[in-house]
Amino acid sequence: MKLIVLTIGVVGLFAVSLFSFSYYSLASTVIASDHDQEGKSSQVDQTLQDQKQSTQEPDELIEEPDQEQEPSDQEEEIIEEEEEETVQIADPLYIWNKGMYYFNDKFYFWLLKPVTQGYSAVFPEGVRLSISNFYQNITTPIRFVNNLLQLKMKSAGNELLRLVLNTTFGVAGLGDFAKDKMDIKRHDEDLGQTFGHYGIGHGFYIVWPILGPSSLRDTVGYVGDLFLHPVSYITPIETAVGIDAHDKVNETSFHIGDYEDIIKAAVDPYISIRDAYVQHRKKKVEE
Amino acid sequence: MKKVLIGFHLIIFFILPLSLYAGVPQNTVEGHVNNVLSVLRDPAMKGDKAKKAKKEKVRAISEKMFDFNELSRRTLAMNWKNLNPDQQKEFIDLYKDILEDAYMDRIMSYSDEKVVFSKEIMLSDDTAEVQSNIITKKAEIPIYYRVILKDGNWRVYDVIIEGVSLIKNYRTQFRDILANKSPEELLKVLRKKVGKA
Repeated sequence: MKLIVLTIGVVGLFAVSLFSFSYYSLASTVIASDHDQEGKSSQVDQTLQDQKQSTQEPDELIEEPDQEQEPSDQEEEIIEEEEEETVQIADPLYIWNKGMYYFNDKFYFWLLKPVTQGYSAVFPEGVRLSISNFYQNITTPIRFVNNLLQLKMKSAGNELLRLVLNTTFGVAGLGDFAKDKMDIKRHDEDLGQTFGHYGIGHGFYIVWPILGPSSLRDTVGYVGDLFLHPVSYITPIETAVGIDAHDKVNETSFHIGDYEDIIKAAVDPYISIRDAYVQHRKKKVEE
Repeated sequence: MKKVLIGFHLIIFFILPLSLYAGVPQNTVEGHVNNVLSVLRDPAMKGDKAKKAKKEKVRAISEKMFDFNELSRRTLAMNWKNLNPDQQKEFIDLYKDILEDAYMDRIMSYSDEKVVFSKEIMLSDDTAEVQSNIITKKAEIPIYYRVILKDGNWRVYDVIIEGVSLIKNYRTQFRDILANKSPEELLKVLRKKVGKA
């Protein structure tokens, strides 16, 4: 019964994502976080794209007769080049997302960080590294299948090899024998990246409580990957959630300070995190 | 015989600079980074008192390493011309302060991770990307530096950490602010952040 509901949910989300792909992949080049003014920036983006397609000759030159011809041309080129490279994501759920951002911020400082710090005090780094290796090892199916789906045969083979080597020589996956002794590295792939590989866009930005930033595409991917996640099949569900929570705390123990740095560096942390998420996922899809 | 030898030496003399030239961007960045690392690793400068001196030295190196002018212009991109020259100058200074506040502590907390430079890619005649990795016990973190050649020097105008470009990330933030506020208000926001930090 639960499985049927889950499947319907996944299929439903998938259908919505395919629909939104066609609609939002057009809209995703437009900043949708304009909660006040519509499209001043988006108009500018459109103008820019038109400019790039028509001629190199910038209109702005006419407005600035006191500037030399050459530097303006060059500047325009650089600016067009930089603007072209910017990748954006639609954010129609801005209000929900901002709310979740605040929730996650409090969740990190009031719960996750203190728990992780207590945990780190008890378990030294070496132990935590082994635990991390262990969890990475058992999530091999997700990476293996997604490498296959993207036709990355060598990487898929490597994942299988890593599983065998690390479970035996690495001793139940506690050690990363394959990387340390044979330089066979992990090839991180998930279903969201697989969708991206085949050209499916993000759809739009979603921030989930606790789980953090995601997108429509990546959320569908996350749910799909749950079927490949061995821990999902552990009953009762409290144990499975407990194990995943342990994994999360353990991983966080290596990243204490990262989130604080992000907020310290950012002028607008919400936008900074959203943009970093998009850039980071783009890189992961491309590699 | 003599002619052949001279000819041979002349050829070597001319080929050598060419092969070195290909590595100039990487050598430049690597040089700066190594200078910073030696300041951080300096056993003579341990403890909190030395921290101030360390920061000063790192600051001096970053002045040579980065082209903050280029960084600022490329960050604001289309919005750059919406600032008048005075605002532009103030923006560059505030931006520099924000970056320093943000990253200096991180740099100071460096212990002894390995930094490995792998390669450089020419992006155009006067821009290049220098690729490096920081190797921690947990993972390898790719850090790419984008450099531009000006007045004979290669200087950094963007840093890309795990695929996230610094100037792109700030551009998105500033653009969102400038969509609804004037350049003067943006400067106000930045002044507040630096004053607070």
